[in-house]
Amino acid sequence: MSADQKVLSVKDLKTYIYVNNRCNKALDGVSFDVYRGKTLCVVGESGCGKSITASSITQLLPKLSRIESGEIVYHSERGNIRIDQLERNGPEMRALRGAEISMIFQDPMTALNPVYRIGSQISEGLQYHSKNTLAQLKQTSIDLLRQMGIPLAEQRVDDYPHQFSGGMRQRAMIAMAMSCKPKILIADEPTTALDVTIQAQIFELIDELKQRHNTAVILITHDMGVVAELADHVAVMYMGNIVEQGTVDDVLRHPAHPYTEALLKSIPILGKGKQQQITPIQGSTPDPYQRPKGCQFEPRCPYATERCQTFPDSQSISATHDALCWHSEKVLSHA
Amino acid sequence: MTRRPTRLDKKFDLLREKTEQGTLKAPSSNRALNKLASNKLAVLGLAFVTIMILASVFAPLVTQYDPQKVDLRMMLKPPSADHILGTDKIGRDVFARIIYGGQISILVGLGSALGAALIGVSIGAYTGYKGGWWDSTFLRISEVVMSFPQIILVLMLVTILGQSLMNLIIIFTLTGWGSLYRLTRAQMLSLREEEYVQALRAFGLNTFTICFKHILPNALGPIMVNITLSTAMFILQEAGLSFLGLGVPLNIPTWGNILNVAQDLRILQNYWWVWLPSAVTISLFVLAINFVGDGLRDTTDPTMQG
Amino acid sequence: MFVYFTRRLLYLIPMLLGISFLIYLGLELTPGDILSYLLPPEAIADLKPEELIAMREALGLNDPFIVRYLYWLGGILQGDFGYSLASGVPISKLVLERIPATLELSIAALLFSTLFGVILGSISALKRGSLMDNSLTVFGMIGVSIPEFIFGLIALVVFALQLEWLPVGKRLMPGYDSYWDHMPHLVMPAMVLGLIMTAGVMRYTRSSMLDSLNKEFIRTARSKGVPEWRVNFIHGLRVALIPVVVLIGFRLPMLIGGTVIIEQVFQWPGIGDLFVNAVRGQNYPLVMMISFLSVTAVLFASFLIDLLTALLDPRIKLE
Repeated sequence: MSADQKVLSVKDLKTYIYVNNRCNKALDGVSFDVYRGKTLCVVGESGCGKSITASSITQLLPKLSRIESGEIVYHSERGNIRIDQLERNGPEMRALRGAEISMIFQDPMTALNPVYRIGSQISEGLQYHSKNTLAQLKQTSIDLLRQMGIPLAEQRVDDYPHQFSGGMRQRAMIAMAMSCKPKILIADEPTTALDVTIQAQIFELIDELKQRHNTAVILITHDMGVVAELADHVAVMYMGNIVEQGTVDDVLRHPAHPYTEALLKSIPILGKGKQQQITPIQGSTPDPYQRPKGCQFEPRCPYATERCQTFPDSQSISATHDALCWHSEKVLSHA
Repeated sequence: MTRRPTRLDKKFDLLREKTEQGTLKAPSSNRALNKLASNKLAVLGLAFVTIMILASVFAPLVTQYDPQKVDLRMMLKPPSADHILGTDKIGRDVFARIIYGGQISILVGLGSALGAALIGVSIGAYTGYKGGWWDSTFLRISEVVMSFPQIILVLMLVTILGQSLMNLIIIFTLTGWGSLYRLTRAQMLSLREEEYVQALRAFGLNTFTICFKHILPNALGPIMVNITLSTAMFILQEAGLSFLGLGVPLNIPTWGNILNVAQDLRILQNYWWVWLPSAVTISLFVLAINFVGDGLRDTTDPTMQG
Repeated sequence: MFVYFTRRLLYLIPMLLGISFLIYLGLELTPGDILSYLLPPEAIADLKPEELIAMREALGLNDPFIVRYLYWLGGILQGDFGYSLASGVPISKLVLERIPATLELSIAALLFSTLFGVILGSISALKRGSLMDNSLTVFGMIGVSIPEFIFGLIALVVFALQLEWLPVGKRLMPGYDSYWDHMPHLVMPAMVLGLIMTAGVMRYTRSSMLDSLNKEFIRTARSKGVPEWRVNFIHGLRVALIPVVVLIGFRLPMLIGGTVIIEQVFQWPGIGDLFVNAVRGQNYPLVMMISFLSVTAVLFASFLIDLLTALLDPRIKLE
């Protein structure tokens, strides 16, 4: 296994949303790479473009939105595929979905079809991506459910979603996503709708599967604890840009963007006791239709200067670490 | 391979260009515009309904003919300058009959709808709010009434009570209150759990006041929509019954009674002006009311947009 | 499933009892001697007045109301529906003769409207905002606004009288009695009755389908890489169908009511025709009994619809 094998690279991706006859630049030039067997965590406040990033990769965008420019390249075994140039629900795109790139969604309560049995929903993708008999499909569903840690999988495979608890449904979703052994697994806040106790189990399961199948994982979350635990790489998003990215160590220990720094300070850390100082980020997220001219974080940024009125260039801190800030040196030394 | 541009792409390009030039209008006006556009039909419908109501109320000003006047020299004459919609089997002016007929047809429709609303809304509001024994009793009664095919129940009551204009309105009211009752009750069931109702109860206001003065006004939107649509339904029913000769007594002109002669295939085929204008009037009038009802629904219920 | 089935069936009993009580009340309150309803005319014809009085006593007509009702109900359960005032023929015989015609008409209309309503509604939802969608919406609005008999009259003028493509009406002509012979007669009444219902089913399918296509599980299905038809129909339409079936159940009374008028327009010899003639002839017992039978039919049909809904929606069985 070569250590740094790219499976997906995204370059200067712009995705705009056109709801209510307005144009929202939801993603305004996003670039990142995803490596085989590694987890990339995408963090940020809600509305920063995390989910749009995920759905751009699988082209599962809302109807009134469009990839404007940039590249999404999937490095498959058959060569590179430009995902952004495929027809949205066309055969080439469908051949990738589920088979090579699969997704887990936020709310397992609504993401499963209520009228079909769990088993048939799990194997539905497999049915289209490989040749299998019905009996084989069912056996695969049972095996998958068992791997996901669902007891009595032989019986539960014939249950309907409403007979499953929230945690079990998310396990079934993961089974569904893993059914074709995809190269990339995108998990869009997979635990937001679940109980806290279940959350850790789900993350553990995702991590275990990643290691077993050498899958690349894109984990979208706003939970910094999860990032510290699971991520190999981190991308911090703010207002449609990745403001900072690098390895976990880079970003969490040596934040080079004021937003990352502020984000880390605003989160209580378990076990540190009551003495720890929590500083909320000042101000609030700007209206996406009335964006600041230059750096998007400028109005809320303690480091802001005249220069921030122009949009910053990406600053390379190290080979693995970039930040989108004119003052990254200052931020680095401050921390 | 590259994607083919679609209809949406063109729209997107335009929006994007406008945004980049900063010429995009404020979005709120756009949404209001959309709503107005969808209500254009409602406005048109309202205009038509108003004109028809005014025309029938002031019928003597609209036509100089007496709708009941028999003129045996003028039997089944096609439309002409004198009789713009011709004359019927016994020489009565068809246009006058339609205008005067509107009086009764609209009276039956509106009267029955209001009667049904009075019964349905008051029972629904009170028992829906109180709950308990009365509530389940009326729920059962409404289930029994509503499981009858309405026309069969109406005809059954017509046989028992006899055929007259007043009886017809009473029968429509008695058979038609169910849906308004159900609607009001459902609204009450959800509204009575609201915080403000708890607060009123804590103030010690009596049930009657809370129910009719404080909760009911909040449920009026859907009730108004339903009354509008019920009016349309009752006009259709009157027409159907009168077509069978079992609605309003045949000597009174109504839109349905005019159509009664169309049971005769000879008239149906050869003398279209006797029945077709009335058929078109009923259909347009009901269509107009339905547009008004839909428009009202859109404005009172933002979730129903689609 | 079985529990649900029995509970729904048991629920019918109090409903039917209540309705039968009202019907009997109506029978007693309507003018005319109830004796001529309870007995065949030849049994009464030769009786002397004192024998009539004895007969009343023997039939329990002097018993308290509730006892008389129970006797009557017992008769109904054994298939004794009494006698028609006009002809003295047993009501059960009159009704049985007419049932096939009405069933034929209403089932044809139901199938037609369900099939076309669902298909057009789905197309409308999938092509939302297109010319197709807008014209179907206008068609739907017109469909629910034109009274069915006017629709019938126009169809009659155009297709039977002007174009002469289809027969004017009537189910059977003398000498033609095979099943296929009366198909041409069935076409127009069934289409007219069906088209009115199609408009409603279509409008409802459209909104239900739009609702279902906006659900999360649609995106899940897409994320598996299955073809679009599967996403739209196997996932979208399948879920959208549940409320549509419920609506069709609610509209069954409308269907039965519709046959009453349509049978008149097309001179179709069904129950509706029998009913209207009974109303015209002030034949109270026949009016009452047909009303009773039609409610019973509606209740049982809605029971079947409930079962169908339970089959379509696995969530129901647990409740």
